[in-house]
Amino acid sequence: MTGKTFVQKVLERASGRSGLVPGVIVEATPDFSYSHDYAAWAIDAFEKMGATRVHRPERIAVCFDHGIPPNTAKDANSLKRVREFVNQHGFAKFYEAGTGVAHQVMVEKGWIVPGSLSVCNDSHACSGGSVGALALAVGETEIGFLWAIDRLWFRVPTTRKMILSGRLRAGVYAKDLMLVIAQQLGVLGALYEILEFHGDAVAALSVSERFTLCNMATEVGAKGGVFPFDTVTAQYMQGRAQFPFTPVLPDPDAQYCAEMHFDLSTLEPMIALPGREDSGVPVSAVAGQHIDQVFIGSCTNARADDLHIAAAILKGRKVHPGIRLIVTPASRQAELEALRSGDIEALVEAGATLMPSGCGVCAGTHQGVVADGERCLSTSNRNMPGRMGNRNSEILLCSPATAAASALAGCIADPRQVG
Amino acid sequence: MPSTGVVASIRGTAAVLGDHVSADVVLPARHSFLKPEQMAENVLMDLGPEANRKVRAHSIIVAGVAFGYGTGRESPSRALHAAGVRAVIAKSFSRLFFRNAINNGIAVIQCPELAQMPVQDGDEIVISLAEGRVQWKDKSLRIAPVTDVVAQIVAAGSLINYGRQLLASGVTQS
Repeated sequence: MTGKTFVQKVLERASGRSGLVPGVIVEATPDFSYSHDYAAWAIDAFEKMGATRVHRPERIAVCFDHGIPPNTAKDANSLKRVREFVNQHGFAKFYEAGTGVAHQVMVEKGWIVPGSLSVCNDSHACSGGSVGALALAVGETEIGFLWAIDRLWFRVPTTRKMILSGRLRAGVYAKDLMLVIAQQLGVLGALYEILEFHGDAVAALSVSERFTLCNMATEVGAKGGVFPFDTVTAQYMQGRAQFPFTPVLPDPDAQYCAEMHFDLSTLEPMIALPGREDSGVPVSAVAGQHIDQVFIGSCTNARADDLHIAAAILKGRKVHPGIRLIVTPASRQAELEALRSGDIEALVEAGATLMPSGCGVCAGTHQGVVADGERCLSTSNRNMPGRMGNRNSEILLCSPATAAASALAGCIADPRQVG
Repeated sequence: MPSTGVVASIRGTAAVLGDHVSADVVLPARHSFLKPEQMAENVLMDLGPEANRKVRAHSIIVAGVAFGYGTGRESPSRALHAAGVRAVIAKSFSRLFFRNAINNGIAVIQCPELAQMPVQDGDEIVISLAEGRVQWKDKSLRIAPVTDVVAQIVAAGSLINYGRQLLASGVTQS
């Protein structure tokens, strides 16, 4: 009898079936689901099915984050329709625009708990793996189906073991590790797999850093990523968990489709060049290259620790006159922490434009669009053409430290070179 | 059991495509809001009119690695369904395409063995969903058996139709 991976165990519990092997499809009832602005399409599907009753509304939340505050009457009307639906059906929680990116908010407010199965109609739903949950993206139609029928189908995936060792050196962050992982795997390198993070180094990674890594699991084609429950998770969940939970750990003899090793002490600051998330190169190889806008935001890298890293570099200095710096905290909670610590003050004094907590520039549908031929250096997760709303512009991805150092220098700069 | 139909097998002819056919190539975003018949006219046109013609003539796509990668939009799957495609057999799939295709009534079959064989356009293929076999010429290849729920969604034509049938039958417990 071989052991089981994390995902096998969670899907066995949620489906009530045993002996699940990769490739099998099961029906399971998620412990929690959430949505954002695009809940409007889930409502469409719900109504087309002729459904009238939402199952277990006490396990459903909505948080507006994509196009907020709305730009057009059409968007405002769509948000209004979602608000009314949420009220009518008594969802557990509704977070108004400005609370933050839904993925961040659901982890931060304790709705996603260790060992649970959580779904959301957004490709970065995988972020919830940062607290030891099986957190998965589904379609809007499926969210409507889930509300109406109370279950979804899931295919049991294979799991890749990611073994992390060593300590990150000064100026090198979880984002740099993720860009190395993407560079080694490629954007399709982990198709339909779960990335399970292990090794001596994980105990030193905070939930925020784990969030960065799980968030971008989808950028290598994976179904999700997970940091199995440990003392870091336990501490984070204290006083936060909305539901009782039972942590789930993979068995020591679980079967993996592949194993990869990363020595964090050998990594350098990285930048993903325009077009693909797997096009990472050391910052040193492209230092001095032109950029026009710097975006410190998104669910990947705009929590209080990220804002602190950026503020420490920009404090008492000025953003280069050739650069527009946009800062969008991942959540209001992160913004409050950074306000109280003085980090927001340091960023704004340096010349940053502060935008309301939400997806902001990253979603490409709302503000902060760059012009034809311009380049945006971003702490977000995607850099395919058009992601930020203009196919004729370019996006490069990096850590908050590299973003801040580059905003200061007026071109791509290595954060280790900034005193 | 819900009073919905189950597709036991899918019989059709092959439209052979290569590796890395992205969902954006299947149907670019600008065609997302077309009527089904217009979607069918545009499906796979980025690979040329011949690719479009053959997927409209043959109901089973046979492809290589990473079929459907890229966008998570549902419209490429709707376009394939509108073009008459009932199954896609490939070496590997992007996860969101895998889900979207099934939820829009297309069986999605991972079968690396078939994808490596010299299948030609127009070859007859039979997929036995419940038994978990794909038949091509004298070869009978094993695939993961297709669960009832997936066969029911495919039979209903979409997840929405399936949901409507479940609600109408008053039986929503599996």
